[in-house]
Amino acid sequence: MATNILEAQGIVKQFGGLTAVNNVDFVIPKGTICSLIGPNGAGKTTFFNMITGLYVPTSGSMIFDDQSIVGLKPDQVTARGVGRTFQNIRLFANMTALENVLVGQHARLKANLLGILLQTRAVKAEEERARLRAIELLEFVGLGRQRVDEMSKNLPYGDQRRLEIARALATNPKLLLLDEPTAGMNPHETDALTRLMRQIRDELGITVLLIEHDMKVVMGISEKVTVLDHGGKIAEGLPEVVRSNEQVIEAYLGKGAAAQGKGGGGVRKAVVQSAEGR
Amino acid sequence: MAQTVATPVVPVARRRNWSSIIVGLLLLLVFSPLIFSIATKIVHNPLLLLGQLKVGLVNGAIIAIIALGYTLVYGIIELINFAHGDVYMLGAFTTLILLSLLNIGTKTPWIIRGPVLLLILAIVMAVCGGINVGIERFAYRRLRNAPRLAPLIAAIGVSFVLQNVGLVLGGVPVFEGDYWALVALVAPVIVIALAMVLARRFAAGGERKMPVWGWLILIIVAASLAIAGFNLVHHGLQSAVPLTLGDNVMGETAPGPKNVPEVIASVSARPLLETPFRLTWKDLMVLVMCGILMSSLYLFVQRTKVGKAMRATAQDRDAARLMGINVDATIALAFLLGGALGGAAGMIVGMYSNSAVFVMGFTAGLRAFTSAVLGGIGNIAGSMLGGLLIGLISALSDQYIETRWTNAVVFGILVIILVFRPSGLLGEDVGQKA
Amino acid sequence: MSRAINIGVWAGVFGVFIIVLFGGQSVLAAGLICGLLAGLLAGARTEGETMQAGVRDGLISGAVAGVILIVSNILRNTFITTLVGQNLPSTGEVLSFGIAGAAISMVLGAALGAAHFLPGRRSSYATWAILGLVILIYPFLDYSIQLGWLGIVITGLIFILLALGLNIVVGYAGLLDLGYAAFFAIGAYTAAFLSSSYIGDQLNFANPRVSFWLVIFIAAAMAGLFGLILGAPTLPLRGDYLAIVTLGFGEIVPIVFRNLDTFGITIFGHEFIKTFNLTGGELGISPIDPPKLPGLNFADRSDQRPWYFLLVLIILFSIFLINRLRGSRLGRAWMAMREDELAASSMGINIVRTKLLAFAMGASFSGFGGAYFGAFVGGAFPSSFDFSVSVIVLCMVILGGLGNIPGVIVGGLIIELSDRLFLPQITLLLQSIAQHNANNPSLSGLQRFDPTLYRTGLFGLVLVLMMQLRPEGLLPNARRKLELHADQASPGEAAQSQTDLYDVETEAASS
Repeated sequence: MATNILEAQGIVKQFGGLTAVNNVDFVIPKGTICSLIGPNGAGKTTFFNMITGLYVPTSGSMIFDDQSIVGLKPDQVTARGVGRTFQNIRLFANMTALENVLVGQHARLKANLLGILLQTRAVKAEEERARLRAIELLEFVGLGRQRVDEMSKNLPYGDQRRLEIARALATNPKLLLLDEPTAGMNPHETDALTRLMRQIRDELGITVLLIEHDMKVVMGISEKVTVLDHGGKIAEGLPEVVRSNEQVIEAYLGKGAAAQGKGGGGVRKAVVQSAEGR
Repeated sequence: MAQTVATPVVPVARRRNWSSIIVGLLLLLVFSPLIFSIATKIVHNPLLLLGQLKVGLVNGAIIAIIALGYTLVYGIIELINFAHGDVYMLGAFTTLILLSLLNIGTKTPWIIRGPVLLLILAIVMAVCGGINVGIERFAYRRLRNAPRLAPLIAAIGVSFVLQNVGLVLGGVPVFEGDYWALVALVAPVIVIALAMVLARRFAAGGERKMPVWGWLILIIVAASLAIAGFNLVHHGLQSAVPLTLGDNVMGETAPGPKNVPEVIASVSARPLLETPFRLTWKDLMVLVMCGILMSSLYLFVQRTKVGKAMRATAQDRDAARLMGINVDATIALAFLLGGALGGAAGMIVGMYSNSAVFVMGFTAGLRAFTSAVLGGIGNIAGSMLGGLLIGLISALSDQYIETRWTNAVVFGILVIILVFRPSGLLGEDVGQKA
Repeated sequence: MSRAINIGVWAGVFGVFIIVLFGGQSVLAAGLICGLLAGLLAGARTEGETMQAGVRDGLISGAVAGVILIVSNILRNTFITTLVGQNLPSTGEVLSFGIAGAAISMVLGAALGAAHFLPGRRSSYATWAILGLVILIYPFLDYSIQLGWLGIVITGLIFILLALGLNIVVGYAGLLDLGYAAFFAIGAYTAAFLSSSYIGDQLNFANPRVSFWLVIFIAAAMAGLFGLILGAPTLPLRGDYLAIVTLGFGEIVPIVFRNLDTFGITIFGHEFIKTFNLTGGELGISPIDPPKLPGLNFADRSDQRPWYFLLVLIILFSIFLINRLRGSRLGRAWMAMREDELAASSMGINIVRTKLLAFAMGASFSGFGGAYFGAFVGGAFPSSFDFSVSVIVLCMVILGGLGNIPGVIVGGLIIELSDRLFLPQITLLLQSIAQHNANNPSLSGLQRFDPTLYRTGLFGLVLVLMMQLRPEGLLPNARRKLELHADQASPGEAAQSQTDLYDVETEAASS
């Protein structure tokens, strides 16, 4: 048993002539909450997409749970135990909240064509279990029972984010990737979501990796922060350490600013601004 | 537009899977006796091959012209303009009608025939380009941001509607030398133009859009006024100054094939070349016209400012808009050019094979689409290459397999290309873009 | 109240259309249709919430339609019947049939209105019971008044079966399949090979004739298999490419069946299989054995009622299966894939396999329908499987509403009835008017005017107009509704417009 759930080494991703991720080593210890930060276009989401199998790295190795996942398709990666949410919410808009979560359970269900057509007892029982589990998950993320049959596109924004997390949890992941989960939320909602992320780790025992622009969230919750800039890793470590790293400040504010900036405060301010600017 | 880049959407399936390789080997195995028998036939009579290659080249040039229409449109809005084949068919019908009304034939002296043919070419290209722009405006524009299925389904619908327009045209009696009909055709044009102005005024007048029934009534009224206007003028002129009319070129039945008057002698006249293969003046006409059309389009898209706007729109519509390019106009231009080329192809075919039928657009369209895909859809040079290749392949299949199998061969090739190299010969890998 | 009258008028207009076209005793069938429309539209959608209100509105609507029927039946017989050279019935007959038609319309309207307001699930049970009764009674009515629609209705129902299958592919999974007729052909030819003496006749041996009841499943499996073979390499492609590949396949299959009349395998001069006529070429293969069932005579083509009931059972069975699929893990995966392919694959759905399954399932239904069609028509002919078949079926699915079973059925009925019943009847009517008034020169043009020629134009127009005006179909699936609209309405608007036709959907889902 390795102590790390994900070990990525020498990851490179090139699109034509553009190098989006350049030789990044990255490790996620089991049972932690890690963050991936960096200015826009730093290669964070590309990195996510490589973990989940949407992109194949140009070179490098990626070991998840003691097995290589390089070259696997997204559904195979999900089956191994990686769940994810998307930066711009990608729910199944014309399906109900419940159905969305049921789709998340797809890989965990076994019903096949014949069983479905004959409605065997096993299939019926499985369907019933899946339904109960879905409602349980919806309640876990804080979507009440009355929202279960609502079309997901009719849900308020914050609830859509929560629903996406529930859907990702339904895949029964060992590692949960959250792509800017608090984007566009007010401070109150952000606090609630931060609590939820802790709960996911503490109660469900799922390792969490998040991309986040809100430094308050990142610094408050993460055990480890990795900073990407221009596709390369420029800093890594405990939040406090990263916060005062010269290179990080430079990446966010540009040269010169690092000299006059006052450490973490400057970073926070800049990041908040950049998040609002989007 | 030579290289169409869609937004870098994440690929869903990318790896070449084993199944396609196995299918390929199986296909090769199944068709090996066929390939062998074709090879023996070619060795037996190599001259025949040369002749067939010429046939293929001539047909391929025409197919290439049609294929350009698919590519231009696909390059810009990623829509398979299903109706394009039928625009080509309408081009052939327009040619047929104009040639008959003007009573142009092999007997007309070249000093008149030449300029008139050029004039007809211009009219046909304008009419077909106009039809294509109209299709874009009324059937596709609203659906530009809809899911991809929606415009494709609309395109299939338009194709059928146009086919039936051809069918209706086939039932209208058209007499040779009926100059008054030509004059009278101006009347409906005026009526329709007036109706459009009125509609625009009405639609722009208030906040509300013109309701559907309003359009319907307007269309019906305009159509009946146009027909009445035509009949009135035509009848009036004919009774004032009677003309002696020739045969009805549309024949007895609406769906039947029509004879396009011959303007370039084929059978009786001395061909350009008799050996080693027969090359007629008609063949030369096709090759020259297609060559001119293709090269001028290529130069237009590559060299002119408008062409640059088209390529920019193809790359990224929103960015092009931000750069001050009128995207709607540019898309309309692509449809205009495509339709004009389709019309020209219809005219060339009409003059070459001397026949036109309302279903001719379907097969020709599919072949042309296949060529566009073969060459790499969205890629202009690729479509030309693809057209020539498909022309050659079908000519060879006609000769060495059997004519009745040729369509199956062409579609088989389409399927095989899409499976093994969906990006086509000159295109970049579209399969990556899900 | 005024709404009920309004609906009654519209239903009546539809009835008038039938009466004018067919004359005779068709007023009874018109009454049946008007009653259904009145009951389902006025009775079941009344504003009041009591059963009395439902009955009242259904009754009013049915009565309005009924009055229109009586009047138009009288007018039809006064003015048109002699014009087209039909026999003029007595005044009593005209009146009594008119009144009977009106009565049917009123009773049905009231009954459906009442059924809708029964408590709980009994409401939908009762509605379906009434609809079932109509379906059950219809062939006997048709037979006794010699309407002669039954054969056409059966063909229409076969196409509805196809549309239900295509709905899985296009409506649920969002894949555009333009070669659907190919699988229909494969089904029909499978039936032709297995349950006719054709192959044996060609090769001089007595081939075993497989029973119809087995053949339809073999045909479904064959079509599904071909769906897999075609789909496996092409489904990873983007959507519009798939449309073209399937179109190409749809073109190849009839060509192959047409051209394999000289089939043989000769390799390097050695004749492995002697050349023979495998598919019958243009003439096709016939006759195909009809199904055998004790007590029912399928062989007597003059009475098609057994065929009708068999097909109704097949369709009900298919709907039952499709509903199971839709509510299952698989159906959810299809819809998720349609909504967002990328997110679906990130949820652990194997896109290619899921697409393939949808494609093959759709193909199986087509093969199923093909085998029935082969047996019903008594043969397999290459000309019955051309591109227009694929387009008609697509048209049905789109007209009714993608992804919605009642919508597909309604769309199918509209398309098929107008294609096979109304258009030919209009042609017939025009021609008989021309024939019986040969001395009137202004009518002579009618004889050459054949509306059936323009049927494809009609379908094309339907496709274009539906995409422009109502992409979600006539009876939209609530969830599908906004998806095809370019400009997304706000959620509030969406919820409001969904209430409009929502009941049909829920009734179907609860069946």
